[in-house]
Amino acid sequence: MLIPCGQYKPARNSSIRFRDLITMINSILSKFKQKNFLIGFIIIIAAIILVAIYKPNVLFEGLQRSALYALIALPMALLLGIVDIVNLAHGEFMMVGAYFAYFMNVQFGMDPIVAVIPALFLFFLFGILVYYITFKHIIGKEPLSQLLLGFGVGLVLAEGITVIATNFPRKLGLDYVSSSATIGGFTFGTFEFVYVAATIIILVGLQLFLKKTDTGQAALAVGQNPRGAKIVGINVQWIYLLIFALSIALIGAIGPLFGTRYTIFPGVGDQYTLKSFILVAVGGMGSLNGVVLAALILGMAETLVLSSLQYGKWADIIYFALIIGFILYRSHQRQVK
Amino acid sequence: MLEVKNLNVSYGKLQILWDVSMQIGNESVGLFGPNGAGKTTLINAILGIVRPISGEITLDGESLLKMETDKIIKHGIAVVPQDRELFPMMTVLENLRTGCAYIPRAKKKYKERLEYVFAMFPILKERLDQPAGSMSGGQQRMVSIARALMADPKVLILDEPSGGLQPSIVTEVFHGLKEIKKNVSVLVTEQNVRQALKAIDRGYILEDGKIAMADTAQNLAGNDHIRKSYLGI
Repeated sequence: MLIPCGQYKPARNSSIRFRDLITMINSILSKFKQKNFLIGFIIIIAAIILVAIYKPNVLFEGLQRSALYALIALPMALLLGIVDIVNLAHGEFMMVGAYFAYFMNVQFGMDPIVAVIPALFLFFLFGILVYYITFKHIIGKEPLSQLLLGFGVGLVLAEGITVIATNFPRKLGLDYVSSSATIGGFTFGTFEFVYVAATIIILVGLQLFLKKTDTGQAALAVGQNPRGAKIVGINVQWIYLLIFALSIALIGAIGPLFGTRYTIFPGVGDQYTLKSFILVAVGGMGSLNGVVLAALILGMAETLVLSSLQYGKWADIIYFALIIGFILYRSHQRQVK
Repeated sequence: MLEVKNLNVSYGKLQILWDVSMQIGNESVGLFGPNGAGKTTLINAILGIVRPISGEITLDGESLLKMETDKIIKHGIAVVPQDRELFPMMTVLENLRTGCAYIPRAKKKYKERLEYVFAMFPILKERLDQPAGSMSGGQQRMVSIARALMADPKVLILDEPSGGLQPSIVTEVFHGLKEIKKNVSVLVTEQNVRQALKAIDRGYILEDGKIAMADTAQNLAGNDHIRKSYLGI
């Protein structure tokens, strides 16, 4: 049925905004009506309350650990979840960022937190360079090419740092990272809340970028359908370049934050690549919130196990067992559908 | 005016199009032919997705041959692909916005274009927040056409717009086509020649990669070869 243009009356802007708000609230409420979501939500809340009562230190440390995992995984979520590029050198870029902060601190006395700003710019440029030399040539090719290329880039970065700085472990001696607070007789480290703050800043920033800007929407479009993106006038190659460089800038700038607290060595990024990859897969491709939620669950669980003297060494086993369980559950859900 | 002159396209050693020439002015033009005749290849060549080995493609006198697809779209060509090529996880409104967001000329007219496409496909206004991937095939086709129209194009290319749709939706799509051609030059490839001939001004018959016939819709409808091979009369 066609209606002549003259008879159509568009809705006013204010009513569109109000409707958007109502839709958003309905969407959140409808999630709670889904049985599985509700059960999962109740279990998570109950677990957090139990942990807070019996092991309050786990609550704080778990939150901080989860935030670090989420922080490191978010740039990968942007690259893999949004535009479908696998970068197995993810952790190595963070490692190079940490060495950059170490070098700046030792040579020029620059605080690693301040080093985040130059790292952001330098790694953006570095990302552009790496993209043009390597990843540009395998976009749209079979996933194995991306995996091998990322693996190769990671090796080059790790070996490059070994040649320049040796594989001797290094740690910055910063007083403020040992700061702590005491509440009700319970003492906990406060510096690690930097990771929580950084995670919130990056999460909100990326959500705003993806939802509210044309470039962000273009990135979502390219990730969902590169051919479709081309035919609406999006420069797909430019979007790949921008998102790759942005992801490298973020993970490179997270390096200095990581280096403030942890000992660094050329192979330090490996486990974070794997964990980030898993968090993106568990959180759901394209869902930044899902990645943060997955990091929260896995980080809390890992901290809880680590807090036990008897079962502390089981942490990685528990971590991967949870992931296998989750993948099996998802696979079952797909079969049911 | 979109003009194609002596276009030759090949995939490796296999030549698909042979000296194809056609013009589309302020009119709607049909491109008909059996499966494998080269219709989609011709569209891909116009869009810069496939590079021809020789020939020329111009829009208002400007060559499109060396332009990337996104530049060609910005110059005023919009396409409704056979496979719709929507963004399945984006809402209808977000899909429509992508239609004009990357074309400066169209972006300025966002609200005006939105009203235009809602007037043409009112059902889309009721489904603004629905993810495009969850819609029926017919509705997705409407979103795809509406998204192309959001670009405020000079030339609209529709590749098999009735493909896989139920007859009532096909009628609606061709009804929409009659409205669209009032403002935009249209090139439509279609297997449903009977319906398409009612909606177009002129048509080309592409067979084995060559233009076998070019005439007005009325003359094509009366041609024995067309009646026998395409209309089944």
